[in-house]
Amino acid sequence: MTLSDTIAGLLGLNANDPLQFFIAAIIASAIVGTFMLVNVAIAGPWAKRKITAAFTDRIAVNRIGPFGLMIIVADAVRLLSKELIVPEKVDRPAWDLAPLIIAGSALFGFAVIPMGSGVQVADPEVGLAYVFAVASLASIGLVMAGYASNNKYSMLGGLRAVAQNLAYEIPLVLTGVSVVLFAGTLRMSEIVAAQTETLVTIAGIGIPSWYAFVNPFAFVLFLVANLAEVGRNPFDTPEAPTEIVAGYQTEYSSVYFVLMYLGEFIHIFLGGAIITTIFLGGPTGPVLPGIVWFLIKIWAVFLFTQWARSALPRVRIDQLIEIGWKGMLVLSFANLVLTAIIVGVIA
Amino acid sequence: MSLEEPGPRDVGLTKAGEVNYDELESLLGDAVLDRETHLNAEAFVIRPDAVQDTLSALKEEAGFDFLNCVTAQEYQDRYETIYHMTKYDDRTQEVGVVVPTSKDDPVSESAEPVFRTADWHEREAYDLVGIEYADHPDMRRILLPETWQGHPLSMDYDQTKPQIVTLRENKNPLEEDQRLNDDSDTMMLNIGPHHPATHGVLHVEATLDGEQVADVEPDIGYIHRCEEQMCQQGTYRHQIMPYPDRWDWGGAGLLNEWAYARTAEELADIDVPEYAQVIRTMSGELSRILSHMLAVAAYALDVVGDFTATFMYGMQDRETVQNILEDLTGQRLMFNYFRLGGVAWDLPEPREEFFEKIRAFIDDLPEKLEEYHNLLTSNEILQVRTVDTGRLEPEVAKNYGATGPVARGSGIDYDVRRDDPYGYYDKLDWDVVTEEGCDNYARLLVRLQEVEESAKIINQCVDLLEDWPEEDRTIQANVPRTIKPEPDTEVYKSVEAAKGELGIYIRSDGTDSPARFKIRGGSFSNLQTLPEMAEGEYIADLIASLGSLDTIMGEVDR
Amino acid sequence: MIGMLKSMATTMKHALDGETFTVEYPEEAPEVSPRFRGVHKFSQERCIWCRQCENVCPNDTIQIVTDEQRNGEEYNLHIGQCIYCRLCEEVCPVDAILLTQNFEFTADTKDELAYNKEQLKNVPWYKDIDPLESREPDRGAWIGEGEGELDYQ
Repeated sequence: MTLSDTIAGLLGLNANDPLQFFIAAIIASAIVGTFMLVNVAIAGPWAKRKITAAFTDRIAVNRIGPFGLMIIVADAVRLLSKELIVPEKVDRPAWDLAPLIIAGSALFGFAVIPMGSGVQVADPEVGLAYVFAVASLASIGLVMAGYASNNKYSMLGGLRAVAQNLAYEIPLVLTGVSVVLFAGTLRMSEIVAAQTETLVTIAGIGIPSWYAFVNPFAFVLFLVANLAEVGRNPFDTPEAPTEIVAGYQTEYSSVYFVLMYLGEFIHIFLGGAIITTIFLGGPTGPVLPGIVWFLIKIWAVFLFTQWARSALPRVRIDQLIEIGWKGMLVLSFANLVLTAIIVGVIA
Repeated sequence: MSLEEPGPRDVGLTKAGEVNYDELESLLGDAVLDRETHLNAEAFVIRPDAVQDTLSALKEEAGFDFLNCVTAQEYQDRYETIYHMTKYDDRTQEVGVVVPTSKDDPVSESAEPVFRTADWHEREAYDLVGIEYADHPDMRRILLPETWQGHPLSMDYDQTKPQIVTLRENKNPLEEDQRLNDDSDTMMLNIGPHHPATHGVLHVEATLDGEQVADVEPDIGYIHRCEEQMCQQGTYRHQIMPYPDRWDWGGAGLLNEWAYARTAEELADIDVPEYAQVIRTMSGELSRILSHMLAVAAYALDVVGDFTATFMYGMQDRETVQNILEDLTGQRLMFNYFRLGGVAWDLPEPREEFFEKIRAFIDDLPEKLEEYHNLLTSNEILQVRTVDTGRLEPEVAKNYGATGPVARGSGIDYDVRRDDPYGYYDKLDWDVVTEEGCDNYARLLVRLQEVEESAKIINQCVDLLEDWPEEDRTIQANVPRTIKPEPDTEVYKSVEAAKGELGIYIRSDGTDSPARFKIRGGSFSNLQTLPEMAEGEYIADLIASLGSLDTIMGEVDR
Repeated sequence: MIGMLKSMATTMKHALDGETFTVEYPEEAPEVSPRFRGVHKFSQERCIWCRQCENVCPNDTIQIVTDEQRNGEEYNLHIGQCIYCRLCEEVCPVDAILLTQNFEFTADTKDELAYNKEQLKNVPWYKDIDPLESREPDRGAWIGEGEGELDYQ
């Protein structure tokens, strides 16, 4: 029972009529999209500052509103009211489309994520494949931004982004596939359902059979590959502020910058959502409603990226590629083969 | 030391290990026109067409392997270039080489083929004074814009003439670069003058081959304000002292003040009371900690990325030092605390409280340094990034006149504090830190260890000051209100500042302000090594190397 | 790997210990040392118009105008141009110019920072710190003279 079905039921629409179902699905998407954007809005201007401040012994925003939360509004107004500077000789419309693609592509991914409490827009059979596909669409946006900006820093950033995404997409998907071998399905809701059983019981506390516990090796691999996929330290080479200023987003200002920035954060949360779904048991958890568990889990992944960012130096681009192709790829294949053997033997 | 086994590089030494100037004179033969006596060393006046022969003879046979500084100046009847030479092995052995050139045709031979460091020094001499150097590979202006008319430190310079330095009139940075042809695969990238990694207004013209650096050229002079001339307008007694602070805003102001104090005290023959020397040593080392902490913190920013954790921890630890120095000197950055013949103030009352503050900082320091080691040096990713990148071989470093942590990171055991002692350093127990790594990592390690050594020095100074008898606390020697050294006295002295050796040359003309005031910034020579380190490496390494040099543009551009 | 974990442990330790280093200015007034050199304060009552401060100033920040009998008429000091080296205070034989601890000064234009003698007289003490006390305790303290009133005429 997806959210679209629920809404169709509530509005008395016929779920079997494509047009009526389409309307229900649009409404469901709007709800989920808004929900995720609210998360991003809290994360970007406020939570990120607070987290950074905690790591650096500072206080950060605390002047406007309770805990400085109103900075979200203030920042939105500030950023949106800035002049949109379009540099000469940028390659339009690629330059204008890039921020939309970066922000939009990641948002598409949430369509198939089961967020608990019945919040899931759609639950197709190829859910996992779909979410990997749309998540990597962002690279097209990055290369468009880098190439169209007519700026050398942007171009270097765009090229780095593509090289990095190519190198880490494959280990990411392969590690995801090893989970599919366990679950035997690509459908997100079934992957979640497969993780509900209790793995072992230690001192009366049941450890659920989350794939993070079943296959911790794959979990770590996925976590690392995900850091590279979303471009966070130690893999933030596409932006690398001290080297290439701001990489692909150097020339963007005002609304476009907001979209870029938003896209980055949605991407981090999408990465978190994928990890949550395929490794951390999705929205399942005791006592609290599923959606709350889902939020806790994706924010935990977000916190982890910020933590890694606080302490880990950035690797150089050639080292990054080397780690990707020589390390991660080999390890993820090994993981896949081993998982296949184990699953084959047990089955 | 080379003293035990005399080799070909020991010409010109007496048995006692002193410089034998007569023997050097005979070594140089008929190139020598005359002899001059500077307060720091003897100097030979030589023919302008024999510069390379003279310098290479001094380098190869007499072992003067360090061209410390090149000073150019104009007299009523001639131009003059002075090459201040010394040895990495023994800083106390010095010799000057004076090259006079005529007014009509101010051309002398370039020393660049013998010492690479002469490249920038001679360009600066050309730029500011107007002497031209034959055989120089790249005789362009270095500090001033290409379109500048005249040479500001020459006598006939018209200060009232407006200078046109607009973008349009100046060399157009957007024009096609001559070094590139259309079918090449390289890309020209301007890093700076406004760039997150340049720590000041430095412009690095990098030619990239993909991600790799094919060619680098640092372009300096963006904040040049002719500090040398400003000092020439100030009086020795008071007005020059505030300026050295402004050559280093990384916190090493007191060490820079010391450079001027040392030179001027040598010039005016002032003895500094011992008590003041101890205070100078202590505050100077606190200043060094400030500077090194900033270097390490900013280096973390360069290598780790934009997350400021390590940087902020560095800033916090500096804050403690800044508070101590504020209590002592009255200012947090531009101290102006040293005076000729001593310091401005005694330690603040109550003294015990002040000592307590310093002790508390010193006691906490090992724990804090441990944190830096955890965050930086023991971190595998940082090691992968910095070990064996930005290599600077010791021979290359010497050729470029690198000093300070940069030289010591290349295994060169050279520290003016020990090799040519001043202040109270020779009576204290501390070590010169060297690392053999020659890479970015070694330079980072040297700075972190030097902080420990500084703490050791400070601790001993505090011990001394605590027990200093009350009646003996003279903070200033009796210095006349107006200082007028004998005309045509010349002196070149240097101290170990935070970034490297900071030397100052002063020539007096009988008035109460200098006739020529030349500054040798440590960063100036250190920055010149950047192409050696960065070429062939990646952009990220270029940035890391630049950070590891810890240049401060106030000292480079002056 | 151990090193990376140590780095992460270090930052997490800082995050969890809850200590912050921020000074919440302006609610919280920063600590300033007694020797700190801030904006100048001028006492016309003390000044003997000897012009020593004007002469010693390294960058011509002080401008003094006197009449033919060397009676002082104007005392101008550009606090935006000043480099706060304290040499004027050091050479003043009568403590007529003094650097207070006050670092809080603002203006809309540069010209407004050129203080005349009335403005210089009205510069407030910072937190009632008496600068002379910390510098040369044997000289008379300024702060006692005015009893809160700042006109020394």
